[in-house]
Amino acid sequence: MTFKHFIKTITFIEILKGMALTLRRMFSRAVTIQYPDERRKIAPGFRGQHALSKRGGKAKCVGCGLCATICPSQCISITREKGQVTKYQIELLRCIYCGFCVEACPYGAISLTGNYEYSAYNKQDLMMTKEKLLSNWDKYMPGTKGEEYYKKFWRPMSEDFGTPPGQAMYGGKR
Amino acid sequence: MIKMQEPEKIFETRELNVNMGPQHPATHGVLRVVLDLDGETIVRLTPYVGYLHRGIEKLGENLSYFQALPLTDRMDYVSAMSNNIGYCVAVEKLYGIEAPPRAKFIRTIVGELSRISNHLLWLATHALDIGAMTVFLYCFREREWILELFEMICGARLTVTYPRVGGVRNDISQEFIDHLVKFLAEFPSRILEYETLIDQNRIWLKRTVGIGVISAEEAINWGMTGPTLRGSGIPYDIRKFMPYDAYDQVEFEVPIGTAGDTYDRYRCRMLELRQSVKIIRQCLEKLPAGPVMADAPKFVLPPKDKMLIITHPVNEIAYFIDEKACKGCGMCLRACPAKAITGEKKKPHKIDQSLCLQCATCFVTCKFKALKIIPGGKGQPEEKLVELSAQPVADEFKKAQEALVAHFDFIKKGPKVPEGEVYVATEVPKGELGFYFVSDGTHKPYRMRVRSPSFIHAGCLERLCKGHLVADVIANIGTIDIVLGECDR
Repeated sequence: MTFKHFIKTITFIEILKGMALTLRRMFSRAVTIQYPDERRKIAPGFRGQHALSKRGGKAKCVGCGLCATICPSQCISITREKGQVTKYQIELLRCIYCGFCVEACPYGAISLTGNYEYSAYNKQDLMMTKEKLLSNWDKYMPGTKGEEYYKKFWRPMSEDFGTPPGQAMYGGKR
Repeated sequence: MIKMQEPEKIFETRELNVNMGPQHPATHGVLRVVLDLDGETIVRLTPYVGYLHRGIEKLGENLSYFQALPLTDRMDYVSAMSNNIGYCVAVEKLYGIEAPPRAKFIRTIVGELSRISNHLLWLATHALDIGAMTVFLYCFREREWILELFEMICGARLTVTYPRVGGVRNDISQEFIDHLVKFLAEFPSRILEYETLIDQNRIWLKRTVGIGVISAEEAINWGMTGPTLRGSGIPYDIRKFMPYDAYDQVEFEVPIGTAGDTYDRYRCRMLELRQSVKIIRQCLEKLPAGPVMADAPKFVLPPKDKMLIITHPVNEIAYFIDEKACKGCGMCLRACPAKAITGEKKKPHKIDQSLCLQCATCFVTCKFKALKIIPGGKGQPEEKLVELSAQPVADEFKKAQEALVAHFDFIKKGPKVPEGEVYVATEVPKGELGFYFVSDGTHKPYRMRVRSPSFIHAGCLERLCKGHLVADVIANIGTIDIVLGECDR
């Protein structure tokens, strides 16, 4: 054991350095969020609970069943009667929130909203019916929010296969 | 009458059999380890895996290549982005397509971000297992930052499903780049913080130096990859040896250790954090403009705005069967979800306009082009529809029809893949993640096999722990960085 090593060992220098750091951190701003009282802002395009979009007060969904076909966990079931979609059900407990239903829909009828607080006491409340899904649209996609969602996250669009103007670059330059 | 036992038999030394896990807090998931102990020394160690087995390989055989992508998120959920990229690179090779340069750079950026987040979680839990609580909290502070960046680009924090076969889902925004630059400026100083806390700490050194020593030759023989192998001094990194994405266009070093013990592997990962920052910075500077999806019409989803003329209800379209072209095969009849089509075999079918959902399923299933999409035909009497269907279709409308057919085909079946097999390895934070596909010429893989680093590293556990004390099992499970989701698949 060298002299330097000996001094280091008896002075606890590395432990003191670490404690100085933690002491310094004690006076900096807390990064934690007191969840139920304050909520973090979620990013646009968050993949939360589903909504069926409307145009002119009517559901856009025509019931072609592409979302049910692509769904990897097979949580969507659709029933049609007399030219109407009578039942559109999403089993939230099975859904894995991959967002493939949004991508598969050629009509832009389904979207994922920013709602992530939907725990329930029984299974039935977690079966999303058509009415619940349509009311979700009014609740979580008010005004132009829905339109902006589709503009950004209903992909791919033609611009993904080309160079759109104003593409994001480092330093903001083209 | 009670028989007296012989004195030697009473004081016989026996090995103690101890079960560790599957619910032990320090086993990083549901790993069960059965220990045979001589006092406190480990004589035998048997890892039991499979508690998190979900049959991802078998599930992959029953889903199309596009659909199976979210499964890879759930393998190594700590670095889901890297797993997605590995899957996409492998399927791209099978298809014979290549992602455009911008997509490659974006994938490299998010892949390295995922490497940082994985190493942070590894450091956090490894330090916590050994007894350093503060590092755990500090690492999670930065990991949260990265997860927020992920949320910004794809809307999900953990199971991202962001890369796609042939590119990425959506382009990155200016906001994301600004936040990323801020993160890169701040992060190196945060690495120093972790190192201040544990790098020279005497408890940390006592628990890691000389624990789980494995020589370079043995590490190769045991099939180790990634930082676990590099700690023994082998500079094997797939990003250097078989570059995928944009790794051939960036400069970085492969940090290696010398002693091959737990401490060296820890040092390797800490240096890798710095290299990742370096790679992301270069990628940002070199990020080219251009498309983010490959121009391979058969293998990627067609653009949605091209079919808007038909799918937009404003156009008031009607579907109509041309009696002359209809052969009465019954394909549309069976496919129609609303059962609006009626007719007998080998006789022209008819659409009941009141039942029709206008979903275009019949249009895309008809092989004889007997179905017509008529703009402005909704609610018109049948005579008018006959009249309208005779009119030539506008060019724009024709293109939209083609795009719609391609879209339906892609979703309902997925692209057909030529026969063959492919193995592609990518460097995920834990080591070499390989995807092996056997295609029999259909839309789904005949066999999907995943070579997961965690599974192979779990096998090395006995070699690393033998002769050490019980407390060192925790350090050794930490140092090989296993996630049981990936191990059991």
